[in-house]
Amino acid sequence: MKTRLIKTTLALCCASWLASGPAYAEETKPEPKPVKLTTTADHTKFKQLQKTFDSGPEVTKACLECHTEAAGQIHRTKHWKWEFMNPDTKQVLGKKKVLNNFCISIPSNYASCTSCHVGYGWKDANFDFSKEENVDCIVCHDTTGNYRKPPGFAGNPVTRDTEFPPGSGKIIKGIDLSKIAQKVGKSSRDTCGSCHFNGGGGDGVKHGDMDSSLAAPTKAIDVHMDAEGLDFTCGTCHKSSSHDVAGSRYTPTAKDDKGIQVRGKAGSGNPATCVACHDNAPHKKEARLNQHATRIACQTCHIPTYARGGIATKITWDWSTAGKRDKDGKHITLKDAKGRITYESRKGDFTLAENVKPEYAWFNGEVKYTLLTDKIEKSEQRTPINRMGGSPADGKSMIWPMKVFRGSQPYDPVNKTLITPHTAGNDDTGFWKNLDWDKAIPVGMKDSGTPYSGKYDFIKTEMSWPITHMVAPKDKAMGCVECHARESRLAGITGVYLPARDNNRLIDTAGWTIVLLTLLGVIGHGTLRIVTRRKN
Amino acid sequence: MKLVKTLAAGAILSVIAASASAYDADWKRGRVYYRSVCTSCHAAMPVGSINPSTKTKAEWAAYLKADKHAKGKDTVKQYVSKAYRASIKSGNKAAEKFADTPDQELMDDISAFLTKGAKDGDAPATCS
Repeated sequence: MKTRLIKTTLALCCASWLASGPAYAEETKPEPKPVKLTTTADHTKFKQLQKTFDSGPEVTKACLECHTEAAGQIHRTKHWKWEFMNPDTKQVLGKKKVLNNFCISIPSNYASCTSCHVGYGWKDANFDFSKEENVDCIVCHDTTGNYRKPPGFAGNPVTRDTEFPPGSGKIIKGIDLSKIAQKVGKSSRDTCGSCHFNGGGGDGVKHGDMDSSLAAPTKAIDVHMDAEGLDFTCGTCHKSSSHDVAGSRYTPTAKDDKGIQVRGKAGSGNPATCVACHDNAPHKKEARLNQHATRIACQTCHIPTYARGGIATKITWDWSTAGKRDKDGKHITLKDAKGRITYESRKGDFTLAENVKPEYAWFNGEVKYTLLTDKIEKSEQRTPINRMGGSPADGKSMIWPMKVFRGSQPYDPVNKTLITPHTAGNDDTGFWKNLDWDKAIPVGMKDSGTPYSGKYDFIKTEMSWPITHMVAPKDKAMGCVECHARESRLAGITGVYLPARDNNRLIDTAGWTIVLLTLLGVIGHGTLRIVTRRKN
Repeated sequence: MKLVKTLAAGAILSVIAASASAYDADWKRGRVYYRSVCTSCHAAMPVGSINPSTKTKAEWAAYLKADKHAKGKDTVKQYVSKAYRASIKSGNKAAEKFADTPDQELMDDISAFLTKGAKDGDAPATCS
């Protein structure tokens, strides 16, 4: 009995060993041990991460034990500072400083807005930007897709089930930071997208060319990110260096004439441009198209429409209609036939659209923002939140596709400035709670350090967003007739003669004369050949 | 008797070691395969697409364990197999891309995506 048991156990042991290990029956070529190919460090093996974490900073401290320089590198970036001085205009920009015509601004709304900051605890203007453990490593390095920084927690994750807002009955599920920390890896479309897909307060709202359809897109949505094909991540183009990510909305590269960026090449061009990979003359079959590429941004023809992934983007936002209540005094939410919100008491009226044709403008990369310190005048013309520089004659401009977002937002008619209202926040002055501009505006303006006259009105604004993502496959690029036609997409573009769109009597007469003379020449020549052949 | 115990413990440890080095499922690959192969076919069939969030984690686990596709007419595994991928790869890029992925790895990936995207999962997911 005992011998039998030993035999059985031995057999079990051997079978298990054989099943788990390489087949040494064929000992000639032992298999290499199985390894992870996506990383050089299996973070499940690190003792520092094998514990319960109650907060984000605790995880960061563990990360910094090995990655000693990482937080210091992050501290130098726009992702951390949310402040950036444009070297050309000397304007101090960054999310901390600029306004927009979506949720308007960050001051006094930190705890909500900073759910997209790469840090922990930015709840007011006193945030400590020098603390290393305030850096959030996981938000960019999570691979589980389970990391969350809910609005209202100043960029902190929630580790225990929490009712929020208190008394609402809504529970935010706590997440297991230990599990997430043990699975960290490279940044991905999902990590970048956790913020950038949701700009403006929801999926696809702000940019139009970035939404959650890019998490795992088809080729038709984005030829480079195609999850079944090239599978680019954001970082493939937006190449980072010392944790600083290339590419900027504040100083975009409108015209890249530096050609392809090969390894070892001197210079520090923007690696995120099309030219950085495709060069300045990328069309191999149609040389004529390369001529187009000297004045027209690649994006103009290769992104025929944006918001192509089935997610609508906001096109207009009218804050002036916000504040209505139903007969019971409650907030109102209205939706269209597709279930998309078109009115909210706390935000006003919206319009949304999919597959949107961009507008087009000459753009040279210079962007000037209307800041709180700038005076504005109400008129029939919309006030630009950002002015895009460019002209057909400056030698630096290309024709670019833009999303132009139009809206109406509060401004101070006495001091003639834009307004930064206090919107988010579970307090008596937050507009999203109490719908009272008279309470919300003074708090917001005080936090911005800007004088407020006590009077508000609404002003029509517009803001331009160059379109550069959702590049279509080449067979879906725009055809000639989209521009070369009476109803041209480039109807508003001046400074170039566009055959079929434009009409110049002199050029037309000269052209038709050449055609006619050519025809006469061919007929004459042909007739002479026929006549002389008969004679022979 | 001591020898028996030692050997038995060795056997158990060996089994644990084998499972510890088991494949680390990639929910993102599961997402691509589910959407490109499962959904694309379902969307064209009368049954329609099935969002991961329409079932709970337990329901998905039970479904995959039962391995009954189309109410038992065939198996789920069959549609994840290399043979199936080979049969559709000329017209399906995901099947082509993952043509050589071991069957069990791909099944684990899909299972991880469905668990994550389930009604009570960490990130309830749709087909799109």
